Amino acid sequence: MGGIATKKLSSLQNILTRKYPGVECSEFGDSIRLEGTLDDWETIVRCGKFAAKGGFRAVINDVKLKDFTAPPMRTPAVKDSALHGLTPDVLVIGGGVIGCSIARELSRWQLKVLLVDKEDDVAMHASSRNDGMIHPGIASHPGTLRGEYNVRGNAMYTQICKDLSVPFERWGNLILYREHRFGAAARFLFAYREKALGVPGKHLNRRQLEAVEPNITKEAVGAFEFPSSGILSPYKLTVALAENAVENGVQISLNTVVTGMDTEHGAITAVHTNRGTVRPRAVVNAAGCFCDSVADMAGDRFFSIHPRKGECCILDKDAGPLSQRSMGLIGLAAAFSASKGGGIMRTIDGNVLVGPDAYEQPLREDFSTHKDHMDMVMDKHLPLINGFNRGQVVAYFAGVRAPTYEEEFIIEGSARVQNLVHAAGIQSPGLASAPAIAEEIAKLTLGRLGGKILPNERFNPVRNASPVMSKLSLSQKQELITKNPEYGVVVCRCEGISKGEIRAAARSPLPATGLDAVKRRVRPGMGRCQGGFCSPLVAEILQEEGVETITKKGAGSELFVGNLGQEVRSDD
Amino acid sequence: MTDKQIDFTQSVSADGAVKLNSFTAEKSYDILVLGGGPAGLAAAVSAHESGAAVLLIERERKLGGILKQCVHDGFGLLRFKERLTGPEYAQREIERFIATEIPYVLESFVVDISHNADGNYTVCTQSAAGMKSYSCKAIILACGCRERTSRQVFIHGQRPAGIFSAGTAQYFVNIQGTMPTKRCVILGSGDIGLIMARRLTLEGASVAGVYEIKDMPAGLSRNISQCLNDFGVPLHLSTTVTEVFGTERVEAVAVEKVDERMNPIPGTREVIECDALILSVGLLPEIELANVLKIPIDPATKGPLVDQSLMTQAAGVFACGNVLHVNDLADWVSVSGETAGHGAAAYCRTPRAFSQSAVRLEYSKGDFLYALPQYLDPAASEPLTLFFRSRADVKGKTITLSLGGEKAAFSKKYRRLIPSEMEAVPVKALSFGDRAQYSIEMR
Ligand SMILES: Cc1cc2nc3c(=O)[nH]c(=O)nc-3n(C[C@H](O)[C@H](O)[C@H](O)COP(=O)(O)OP(=O)(O)OC[C@H]3O[C@@H](n4cnc5c(N)ncnc54)[C@H](O)[C@@H]3O)c2cc1C
Ligand SMILES: Cc1cc2nc3c(=O)[nH]c(=O)nc-3n(C[C@H](O)[C@H](O)[C@H](O)COP(=O)(O)OP(=O)(O)OC[C@H]3O[C@@H](n4cnc5c(N)ncnc54)[C@H](O)[C@@H]3O)c2cc1C
Repeated sequence: MGGIATKKLSSLQNILTRKYPGVECSEFGDSIRLEGTLDDWETIVRCGKFAAKGGFRAVINDVKLKDFTAPPMRTPAVKDSALHGLTPDVLVIGGGVIGCSIARELSRWQLKVLLVDKEDDVAMHASSRNDGMIHPGIASHPGTLRGEYNVRGNAMYTQICKDLSVPFERWGNLILYREHRFGAAARFLFAYREKALGVPGKHLNRRQLEAVEPNITKEAVGAFEFPSSGILSPYKLTVALAENAVENGVQISLNTVVTGMDTEHGAITAVHTNRGTVRPRAVVNAAGCFCDSVADMAGDRFFSIHPRKGECCILDKDAGPLSQRSMGLIGLAAAFSASKGGGIMRTIDGNVLVGPDAYEQPLREDFSTHKDHMDMVMDKHLPLINGFNRGQVVAYFAGVRAPTYEEEFIIEGSARVQNLVHAAGIQSPGLASAPAIAEEIAKLTLGRLGGKILPNERFNPVRNASPVMSKLSLSQKQELITKNPEYGVVVCRCEGISKGEIRAAARSPLPATGLDAVKRRVRPGMGRCQGGFCSPLVAEILQEEGVETITKKGAGSELFVGNLGQEVRSDD
Repeated sequence: MTDKQIDFTQSVSADGAVKLNSFTAEKSYDILVLGGGPAGLAAAVSAHESGAAVLLIERERKLGGILKQCVHDGFGLLRFKERLTGPEYAQREIERFIATEIPYVLESFVVDISHNADGNYTVCTQSAAGMKSYSCKAIILACGCRERTSRQVFIHGQRPAGIFSAGTAQYFVNIQGTMPTKRCVILGSGDIGLIMARRLTLEGASVAGVYEIKDMPAGLSRNISQCLNDFGVPLHLSTTVTEVFGTERVEAVAVEKVDERMNPIPGTREVIECDALILSVGLLPEIELANVLKIPIDPATKGPLVDQSLMTQAAGVFACGNVLHVNDLADWVSVSGETAGHGAAAYCRTPRAFSQSAVRLEYSKGDFLYALPQYLDPAASEPLTLFFRSRADVKGKTITLSLGGEKAAFSKKYRRLIPSEMEAVPVKALSFGDRAQYSIEMR
């Protein structure tokens, strides 16, 4: 142990002992490891964040919460040997927007790529539970990876969405403020960031603000506008990335959880799953909230994730036209903090999304919503626009971000394991940054694989997307219905979605097999009635397509407990 | 059943290009009836009998509306003086309708309605036969209602499978023959929930209880007795579900008692194991099409504001059945269909605007949940049926309808009035006073 490191360690320990009695720190490789027990979770996180300032590579926070044992990761029910013995060139762990972007990027090369996700579909975790905002990049400090990848990723989205036929709009966003004092101070901050990051922006006074957003209330006296900010449906994007990856030769195995790895001489030799052991030449860690445990499996433990939850609600389409841009009020502290404070945004489908909030809690896959949080979100943001009210709420949801204690992305080849690459700590703006992250991770992975790798000449970035009735002109609709009359039969009355579109989702390169998966692809059940009328009809179509057991989101979430006339009496 | 198709796709515009960018125009009609439930069927038949050329448009595969899935009995006591099941009631209405040979289209979804400069309407539909447009003088909205969802009642917790609305559960059991639960909790004491409590019990499931946030049930008294009491299903008033547990499938729900302001009372929380939460938290008129035409809505009924012949404030657009207000009995739905059918046929003979001199119905919001028709034209002479619901459970009250004349147009002492039961006030002859007035009072 070097002298400087020892000094760093002992001064950190001194402060910890004072501020967080009972917490011990020790060196763990280049990282600092915290151990002990504390009474509440927020203190544990604060302690970790404090240690992150100690000058080490990263914080591993093993401080336990008193009287709490974290529930084990949820795992799929299936057990078989479907993947046993496979030897892909690259195994991507995680089918969120990051993993799917990476898999598609890798399919540009002559490589056998296998992507696994433990859920029944891609985008089941953070990638379907976020705001869908392609941030301009202005919220991060210049020189951070989060700022840099965000700005690069944002610029790439126009082309990607065109190729993948994913609706995308750059409606711009507004950072609103309440006090002129703030406006004056923030002007310098944003002017500096705009220049350093290369993000276009402009200031709007109250009159200019009213001119572009006529329904804005008196809550805001001015705003900063960033026109490159975009909106898309994050799950449609993730599914489209996955479908295009499959079209280009990637194999995707769902309901597949990575449970352990064997390493030899600093390289992963085998990866164990519930569907057999795989022997990849290289592994990409894109496991979202579980990226630290995946790193651990490979013997490359050097950071920790502290799950940061956010809750949002969705307003009816009636509210959609009342605001044009995404917007949120911000105070000075928030301008510098890790989370962006949430706001309101018109979604690409014409609803309004309100939220999220941000709070620390120990559960990594608890997507429950809570009245107090939802009240807070609504009280905070609904007053921004004249005409918004609680009666317009049609749905709400929660998501969990995966920040490290350094509040920074980890996009790098493993320092300890030769054939492992990390896309870890991908919290917000992970969606906005995804294309740029994928490009970099693909480059790093090729480097780790070594040798000469030829481009995949058959790579086609354009997804063979199935038609979306609502986006077609009248004559195109006529033509499509003539070819396939099922496109004329409306199944979801709230969103006007046809039988043809639902069947296409069940037959896509990454077929939807559950109600939620269909919903993510084509939206039946996302409208006013929330599936009351159409879920039985969607279930019928899935059955026609050979799905035997209808579930909401995979095994365990069966819709039915039996058929009529069968013995269904409960045992008790 | 479609009529002769005039193919617009063949027509050639001035610049010689084939005009493709259009709906295929169908024959025009006097009246288009949108919706083929009991309201639409009755409206179509009465409009036809009054001499109008009618087309009925239905988006489902079959006529009959929601009644198709209501296999319990209790329908038709007023209209047929018999106890019928929902499908039987629907079948009678369908047979009457079919006998008139009124044309109709099924699996045709109305995607747009526009009001043309000449006063006519164009209704555009999407179906397996393509995109079509129909023009007409008058429209009858008979689109029924839909259920409120869990999101609208703010239930929190997780999002497992096993949360259904009572109507969806009814469809699963009665139409698809599948069982959605072994042991469930029912939230809300609406009629569909009560009926499903019995239905599920009969099919072998156990119903842990019906929980109602208000201090009185929302459903009909006869359903409380026949669907809950007779089957030993407990009804818990002033209690609500506050949280759902379970990641894949519902595993339990938390219920809590609430105070008068409907806030949960601390310390009353109880967790009940179950595999499903069934919601029966109310119905809302399906006013999407009314919204397309920007038709003013009554915040009390949540359906369009109408006059005595059930014409909305858009001239020539009528509304009947559950799109107008949620009825307690299908029989009243049929009655309102007839009123709208006659009204629309009369409109086709002599088009009129929504009368400027129509008088707005006055009532005390403290006494009534709602009452309709909300407007009455003093020039009108046809008999009127006024519907209302009392806001509270009251006994021995007298309801008086006044039109400004010396004598009340209607007056009756009711033994009991309760919100869940709708009352119909028949007024045979309208006679207005010098200054037209239109008000009901509860004393
Ligand atoms: C409320 C909220 C709002 C947000 N808003 C925005 C926004 O507007 N803009 C923006 O840019 N970003 C936003 N973010 C951040 C963004 O959602 C994430 O950065 C992004 O989705 C992360 O993608 P991912 O692929 O890394 O993670 P995930 O989508 O979480 O994917 C990880 C996947 O790995 C799988 N997995 C984990 N462990 C294993 C294992 N052992 N075996 C197999 N599979 C495994 C999981 O099942 C999961 O599907 C928001 C986040 C939240 C929570
Ligand atoms: C889920 C549910 C369950 C119910 N269960 C009961 C019960 O058990 N007992 C009871 O007494 N009452 C029940 N009701 C109340 C019931 O709606 C009424 O009693 C009665 O059936 C209403 O008749 P209606 O004709 O107004 O509407 P509906 O019977 O709903 O008929 C409306 C019709 O219009 C069609 N339609 C709607 N919009 C369009 C459009 N844009 N284009 C084309 N067609 C359209 C619909 O497909 C439907 O067939 C239930 C209601 C619902 C929603």
